[in-house]
Amino acid sequence: MTVLAPPPRLGDHFGGRLGFLGLALAYALLVAACVVSLLAENELSLGRNPLANLVKTAGEFARPSFVDVWFGNPQLEYRSDDGNLLRVENRQEVERNHLAALAEATWTTIRIATLGSLLGAILALPLAVLTARNLSAPRPLAWLAKGLLDVTRSIHTLVFGLVLVGIVGLGPTAGILAIALHSLGSYGKLFAESIETLDMAAINAVRSVGAGPVQVFFNAIWPAVLPQFVSSHLYIWEFNIRDSTILGIIGAGGLGLLISEATSLFQWGRLSTVLLVVFLLVTTFDALSRRIRKALL
Amino acid sequence: MNAAPSSAAIALKSLACSAGDRTLLAIDELVVAEGERVAIVGHNGAGKTTLLRLLSGFMPPAQGTAEVLGRALEEPLPAAELRLLRQEVGQVLQGLHLVARLSALENVLIGSLGRVTGWRSWTRCYPPPEVASAETSLHAVGLLAHARTRADRLSGGEKQKVAIARLLMQRPRLILADEPTAALDPSAAAEVCHLLVKAARQATLITVVHNPALLPLLAERVIGLRHGQIAFDLPLARVSDQELGDLYRPDGGTEHRLWQAPSSTPSAIRSVAFR
Repeated sequence: MTVLAPPPRLGDHFGGRLGFLGLALAYALLVAACVVSLLAENELSLGRNPLANLVKTAGEFARPSFVDVWFGNPQLEYRSDDGNLLRVENRQEVERNHLAALAEATWTTIRIATLGSLLGAILALPLAVLTARNLSAPRPLAWLAKGLLDVTRSIHTLVFGLVLVGIVGLGPTAGILAIALHSLGSYGKLFAESIETLDMAAINAVRSVGAGPVQVFFNAIWPAVLPQFVSSHLYIWEFNIRDSTILGIIGAGGLGLLISEATSLFQWGRLSTVLLVVFLLVTTFDALSRRIRKALL
Repeated sequence: MNAAPSSAAIALKSLACSAGDRTLLAIDELVVAEGERVAIVGHNGAGKTTLLRLLSGFMPPAQGTAEVLGRALEEPLPAAELRLLRQEVGQVLQGLHLVARLSALENVLIGSLGRVTGWRSWTRCYPPPEVASAETSLHAVGLLAHARTRADRLSGGEKQKVAIARLLMQRPRLILADEPTAALDPSAAAEVCHLLVKAARQATLITVVHNPALLPLLAERVIGLRHGQIAFDLPLARVSDQELGDLYRPDGGTEHRLWQAPSSTPSAIRSVAFR
């Protein structure tokens, strides 16, 4: 392996107190340019009636729609302007149905995140083996794998989702594939890093007692790498649960669909219910995964 | 020393090892009888580690003949043959090479991988007699209380003791130890040396030593290596500070020395050789 000269780092040119002052000045100029240009284009307005709108929205948010399951009007009457009865609605039943739909959407989101993460992890494994520096795979292959990982990591899940909805149609399949493709890059990077931290000397020590390749794998490599793989998997899975709640907005199934529905109809009470579920889902999964990852270390 | 080749643990003849165009080791003849305790001394890069790597089959000889425990090493051995050799050659290495995430007991059980095969060795469900014998080994080095402790939670001295317990478990006929006390403080070093000699009671022991104070603990015969060649090969009683001083003296002879050869104080040489 030829040793490349380290690339010149940013710090080499911007070191010292003067350099820092220069950087701070440049940053201040950028911020000023953003503010001034937006003001000049008259884009920094808060709308016609921000305060009243805020109070109204916040008020509706404060009364999540699921409360109606118990406190809704069972005989809500819709009348036309001249007083004719149009129809009677049972608010309790309507909200009960909405909650059922919400539960199903939540389940879909969990399924998308779980399968997408697993698929991403499986696809990333061979790429990680190719990019891990200590395994020294053939150079062109390593570059190709690294390029692939970098590209997938830089493209947002939503972009993948939009493209995939066009290919495989609306529904969870597009979501699963989008999650898998985007998390591929993160998986590959984390997996390669845990392979790179393998203790080669310990592996040689196991070989030195006369162990065969399979025995070396199960006694030296597997116990060293598996906990790190599982930990990375949980971390990205947790991230994907968050990510997949938004995928429904582009028609890839799950909670996002209900979010986009509620926002399009300005039903802030409904949105409040959905966001509450998202919050509970994400925090529960965060806590679970953090606890498991800590136990694995 | 003049033992018949059949009872020799090691027999090397006109042997050379090289890396690229650099000769690392050139030995005319070296015979070590079974049951001998041999220490190898020499400056850094003298070929000590190369010699051990050769004997454990990690490095094939470039030319000459090498016989270890009756197996010829001339050509790169087939994998199965090499594994059989390694089962009989126990190694204690410079670093403390345990599998970090396994417990002390599991690390000791790795020593039995030559005997235990199949699914039991893959799932680390070792047969009960092996587990019992691993516990005995841990008890012998005084670490039975730490059997369930993970290897990365042990101190340096404890790790090296676990490595020796692994050696006991392996029951090799030849033990190669590469500076087994390099990472240890003096009292732990002496303890590890005692354990190592105890473990080698039924085996041949070859140790690379940097600290002359440990020579009496580990060896009855001392081989000095210098630039890949044998500089001296003497019984322990006849090794004097003079020989050791010559061995560690840098190349340039008198004019470019890093230290002044002390004329009369052996302890001074000792402290130099310590490095």
